Amino acid sequence: MRIAVVGKGGSGKTTTSAVVARVLGRRGLSVVALDCDSNPNLGISLGVGDQETERLVAMRQALDEGDEEHAPEWDELIDRFGSDAPDGVRLAVVSRIENPDPGCPCCGLSPEQLLSSADFGDAIVLADLEAGIGTLTRLQDATIDAVLIVVEPTPKSIEVGSRAYGLVRDKAVGRVVVVANRIRNDEDLDRVRQAFPDAEIVAVPDDPAIVAADRSGVAALDRTADAPAVLALIGVAERLLPVAS
Amino acid sequence: MGRPGRLRVAFVGKGGAGKSAIAGTFARLLAREGHEVLAIDSDPMPGLAFSLGVAQSDAGIPDDAVVERVEGEEGPRFRLRPDLDASAAVEAYANVGPDGVRFLQFGKLTGHVAQLMRSQHAFRQIVEELPDDRWSVVGDLPGGTRQPFFGWADFAEVVLVVAEPTAKSWLSAKRLTRLAREDGTAANLLLVVNKAREAGDARLVAEMTGLTVAAVVPWDEDLAEAERRGRPPIDDAPNSGAVRAVASLVADLTGGT
Repeated sequence: MRIAVVGKGGSGKTTTSAVVARVLGRRGLSVVALDCDSNPNLGISLGVGDQETERLVAMRQALDEGDEEHAPEWDELIDRFGSDAPDGVRLAVVSRIENPDPGCPCCGLSPEQLLSSADFGDAIVLADLEAGIGTLTRLQDATIDAVLIVVEPTPKSIEVGSRAYGLVRDKAVGRVVVVANRIRNDEDLDRVRQAFPDAEIVAVPDDPAIVAADRSGVAALDRTADAPAVLALIGVAERLLPVAS
Repeated sequence: MGRPGRLRVAFVGKGGAGKSAIAGTFARLLAREGHEVLAIDSDPMPGLAFSLGVAQSDAGIPDDAVVERVEGEEGPRFRLRPDLDASAAVEAYANVGPDGVRFLQFGKLTGHVAQLMRSQHAFRQIVEELPDDRWSVVGDLPGGTRQPFFGWADFAEVVLVVAEPTAKSWLSAKRLTRLAREDGTAANLLLVVNKAREAGDARLVAEMTGLTVAAVVPWDEDLAEAERRGRPPIDDAPNSGAVRAVASLVADLTGGT
């Protein structure tokens, strides 16, 4: 089961990815969270802290500069360039690097190639993609089972989300859920509904608890698990459970 | 350094940090100071057009404005047609927006890779070859750390790193700062703290990034509302604290020239 999370930068992809990954982990599922962003921040939202997140980035950079050894297999990639996050989630940074060694799983495979070709076994793979739709355009058909499109009720964010929606509709993706984030009122939700009339939409309220968690660099799930936005994101994870299990 | 009356800046930062809203407002205010402003969006995803109030356009630089290098010749693979120089290309392909701001977009990410390459070469050529004595340039670079630098911010005398007081945002700013220093292009790198909510926010982000603060833009409900409506902050929230903070930034950066 492979789930991709897409959207405009700042729309809430990483927060969504982190809550969903950890909730699935809590249900006893084996979860691999792949940070596919060239500006990787998933570690922060998962709750491993800024120093560990920076260490993972530095490892990727050392690999890029030839100072770090390559990983021969994808699971070693996760061991070597990854970290253990709470709730049993295994996190790895797999963003494309600038000087790849072709065919090498840890660097010569782009996130989209890795998603297409690696056998992740029973694990649920949650891929937090780079902002925009670049990775999605390069993903082959049928390499993902579900896509979460995260949008804010702004024209800029909806524009990116709509293009992502068009792309995933063209590809044979099993399930598409639009996560309408930072919703303050009916007007906000209507903006999203009008842009995605046929989509399955989950509303996530605008919530100071997310702002507070972001500010202190900790996981929203650890800081305020009962905040309305966190509860809504837990609901997103639960919607995916029937297909996940 | 810039001659009097001209200023070239680029905005970088994490996606969602507020680059476009600030860049659009900055461009409009600079134009009101009498500058001839070219606002450029080098992100294939739209953003700056909304904040400027320019009609959204699918067109980047049309294919027929670009010619392929003849085999055996030196130089980049694609160039503007010989009868087009940078100024002529701006006149021909930039949209004119409110306050006379010219707006040039890199082009949307829907075309073929080959088309994008043509557009990309032309776009960079225009920015590189703009006459020194004319255009002020406000660049809105793509979010994240992939594209900024690697030549995309070469035109800028000042690179403004936009960061919110959040861990993800200042880590991104730190990475951008490191890239800029490695790249060696951005001599003048300054911090714009955006969505500041508490007194200590500016100092916190400055400490975390090691950058000098050029402006502190407060969290502003009116600006957020303008963004939701897809309207330029300068038109819909002209008296907001956020727009006033950008106005002081413009004054500070033009004051010395």
